[in-house]
Amino acid sequence: MKLIIDGKAFNAYPGDSILDVARREGIAIPTLCYHEAFGGQGSCRLCTVEVTAGGRSRLVASCTYPVSEGIEVKTSTPAVEKIRRNIIMVLYKRASGSVLMQKLYREYGCSENSLGEKQEERCIVCRLCVLACEKMGTSAISTVMRGIDKRVGTPYDQAATACIGCAACAHICPTGAIEVLDSGNIRTIWNKNFNLINCERCGQPFATREEIDYVSRRSGIEDAELCFCEECRRKKLVGKMQGFSPC
Amino acid sequence: MTTMNKSLIHLLLVCCGTGCVANGAREVYQALKDNLTSDDKAVLAATTSARATGCHGLCAQGPFVRILPEDITYCRVKAADIPEIVEKTLKQGEVVKRLLFRDRQKKALVQGQNDIPFYRRQTRVALRNVGLIDPSSLQDYLERGGYRALEKSLLDMRPEQVIEEIIKSGLRGRGGGGFPAGLKWKACAATPAQPRYIICNGDEGDPGAFMDESIMEGDPHSVLEGMIIAAYAVGASTGFIYVRDEYAQSVASLQKAIEEAENHGFLGENILGSGLDFDIEIVRGGGAFVCGEETALIASIEGHVGEPWDKYVFPSEKGLWGQPTIINNVETWANIPVIMERGASWFTSLGTEGSKGTKVFSLVGKVANTGLVEVPMGTTLREIIFDIGGGVPQGRKFKAVQTGGPSGGCIPAELLDLKLDFDSLSQAGSMMGSGGLIVMDDRTCMVEVARYYLSFLAGESCGKCVPCREGIKCLLEILTRICHGQGEIEDLELMEDIAETMQQASLCALGRTASNPVLSTLRYFREEYLEHIEGQRCPAGICRELSEFWIDPAICTGCGLCLPRCPAEGIKGEKKQAHRIESDKCICCGECIDSCSFQAIKVK
Amino acid sequence: MSEQECEENIEGFRRIIYGFPGEKRYIIAIMHELSRCYRYLPRAALELTAEYVGVPFSQVYSMATFYRAFSLQPRGRVNFKVCDGTTCHIKGSNILLDEIYKNLGIGPGETTADREFSLETVNCIGACAIAPALLVNERVYPRVNAAALKEIIKEYRGGGDNDHHE
Repeated sequence: MKLIIDGKAFNAYPGDSILDVARREGIAIPTLCYHEAFGGQGSCRLCTVEVTAGGRSRLVASCTYPVSEGIEVKTSTPAVEKIRRNIIMVLYKRASGSVLMQKLYREYGCSENSLGEKQEERCIVCRLCVLACEKMGTSAISTVMRGIDKRVGTPYDQAATACIGCAACAHICPTGAIEVLDSGNIRTIWNKNFNLINCERCGQPFATREEIDYVSRRSGIEDAELCFCEECRRKKLVGKMQGFSPC
Repeated sequence: MTTMNKSLIHLLLVCCGTGCVANGAREVYQALKDNLTSDDKAVLAATTSARATGCHGLCAQGPFVRILPEDITYCRVKAADIPEIVEKTLKQGEVVKRLLFRDRQKKALVQGQNDIPFYRRQTRVALRNVGLIDPSSLQDYLERGGYRALEKSLLDMRPEQVIEEIIKSGLRGRGGGGFPAGLKWKACAATPAQPRYIICNGDEGDPGAFMDESIMEGDPHSVLEGMIIAAYAVGASTGFIYVRDEYAQSVASLQKAIEEAENHGFLGENILGSGLDFDIEIVRGGGAFVCGEETALIASIEGHVGEPWDKYVFPSEKGLWGQPTIINNVETWANIPVIMERGASWFTSLGTEGSKGTKVFSLVGKVANTGLVEVPMGTTLREIIFDIGGGVPQGRKFKAVQTGGPSGGCIPAELLDLKLDFDSLSQAGSMMGSGGLIVMDDRTCMVEVARYYLSFLAGESCGKCVPCREGIKCLLEILTRICHGQGEIEDLELMEDIAETMQQASLCALGRTASNPVLSTLRYFREEYLEHIEGQRCPAGICRELSEFWIDPAICTGCGLCLPRCPAEGIKGEKKQAHRIESDKCICCGECIDSCSFQAIKVK
Repeated sequence: MSEQECEENIEGFRRIIYGFPGEKRYIIAIMHELSRCYRYLPRAALELTAEYVGVPFSQVYSMATFYRAFSLQPRGRVNFKVCDGTTCHIKGSNILLDEIYKNLGIGPGETTADREFSLETVNCIGACAIAPALLVNERVYPRVNAAALKEIIKEYRGGGDNDHHE
């Protein structure tokens, strides 16, 4: 399939979204809720572009719009830019506590306006954390409520049985909205405390007991094999391959 | 017919729509049955039958008892009135005058339903059986020609011919979007994947709209018949009716209809010997306005939260469980059998160029005759509100009519001659929606109305996409500020700016239309916004901080009617002397204004 | 449904939940049935539902908070639903809310301490022609004003169960 983005012709595979092609070809389209591991959600709408198909132009979310033969895409038009600026403007009002949002607010040249009191939250409800947790197979968190009250949380906002403290949610969060507190050998996340396990090689705390058990259970790998931090595990692997054991 | 013939068998239709039931219609029906079956009236029992029907439409005057074949319509009937009706009308052939409809304009009593101005101008297509049949009786439906269209479609036509007929009829979806139904069917039939599904969207969520409810309650078989015809046309084997959580009576009515249809071979295997297998299942909604949006409804049936997804690929190709799915709303389905029976050319003889057929509107708010009306597309607002609806009561002035539900718009008096159809309404900055018409008088503040709708949507948006979720939140905050007298003139432009982005970038139709109430009121009632911001006053006297009531001593007769009505005890004055309002006590509830027969109470 | 059939324990939950096929698409139907029995969704029942249909608990919880028909807090024996649809709104539903607060001391989403009364607002019950409308349990009261409301409260107070279930 062929398509045109900003005047240049590109090839696309069946099932590609516009954003897939753009990312592959190094064409910049801003996103907040997109991660290549999960595909497009169509929720932040920052990736809005203008598409002409069958002689008709419309504004679409590039992360969910499936490429079809011969479409023409414009990634930056006055209409598109205005939408992006307004999205940042209204989102900043919710999450002015986020460094990323502060930076975007400046970059998009959002003017001071009478939008009133800003909330100093950091969460922009992009839901990447929910998707990450789902991908881990734990699904300890989800969106709760709806409408303007929608947010992410654990059931009843209490420590969730399903949570293994892996902090994948915090790692993927673009605005640093999820707090992970590692203090000594205790990790606190989503109102739940976990014991951290020290790496058998370097002695640094690196994962929770629950996480190791979970991975072991799912993968069939012995616990003992999982008792190394990422860094040491890599070194160990390299060592094995080279025929001597540094452990 | 004005004379009575005692030898005729009487048919009594008791309206048991939601509105009438709330006013005691069930008790009326019970009393009627008791009176008919009691011993000394054995003759009556044999010659008279009573039917609990669906909504008669003119809810403001209910409960109704309509007597056929004479066509005597009694309004506001109470159970206690039944013995008199039985004795006088059924036995002696006399009309009980005090229960007849009073035509206030002509100052006359009206006997027949079709002589009541409210009904005279209607063309009932989707509502053809509602109010005439007992919805729980398949026999009643068959007697009115039910399932004849199904027979014709299944036995005499090929599926492509059925689709072609629907395309030719120009029928557009009655649920809001107005997408041509036939094209959906065609796209579905053209998608190779199997199985395919048929969905009836009965998640009528617009506040002020209850036309789908009245059809599901009052004529459930018409919906089933439409769906079965579609199943044949596109080759589907399973159908779902998604009914709004609040509509318990609709669920019961549909459930009964499905059982009966199954028992008589209209549903199930090898329908009418045509080889078509089709089943219908009812799914009860969970209480979410956004589920009126096709993709959210589908997500809800699948067992997810009701969040829509981008419809770049239509459900007709990829819908329920990723399979080709036709989804139409209740009123659309109810139109299908009539179109198939009477033909596309009959249907296109009704309506306008771009919008064929009729539309059911629920006419509510500050209008004399509230209820359901069905008129050909292209009927003007003026005809509906004044000729059918009887205008604004209590001598107040018409100000605006809200069409299309929360995401629709407010249309001002200047546009009363607008011919209602899909296209004219969107040009006027509103939309057809499912057909709610909420009449507002000069005691309605348009800024507060916009604020109300946005607060509704704030709770009803699914919250998935940013322009809708955050946009609604910003607009609501600004509107609330303006209503409290803290608005700034820049707010108006800022709202327009945000509203435009919501229209262009939101994920689903809810988000894309959520700013309509703001944009349409800004377009037609900008002055009122300016009054709130610059003049620091609410001309309608609704926004408390910006309102002040006073009694015009030149008009006030000191009748004292308003005194006890004031919940704040803020009205003072001697009998037959002009009264006055103590402004420090007044909470601007407006009770006094409504109670004053002389319109002496004014808003500063 | 009798009290006994609705025992709020794991046995009662099982009786309800296992009555449905163990598929995701029956979650809402299960929740409706649980609500009918218990007037809210007990946590243990939601956990059992999740396990039974094979969906993470967080997703079931997400649905329970998304759909307005369900409550995670026990509702009162008498549940007042004030319709705040457009018509009822412009015809004075806020006056009903004020009156209920004055009489019972509860606002929307609240339940009296004795669990007798609870109050919520709903978005149009399709009874616009008889606005403002009040729903008490399943019964619709038309054109309610402050005086009528006092009568209604009196009617239901002290164990009066005026449920007109058909």
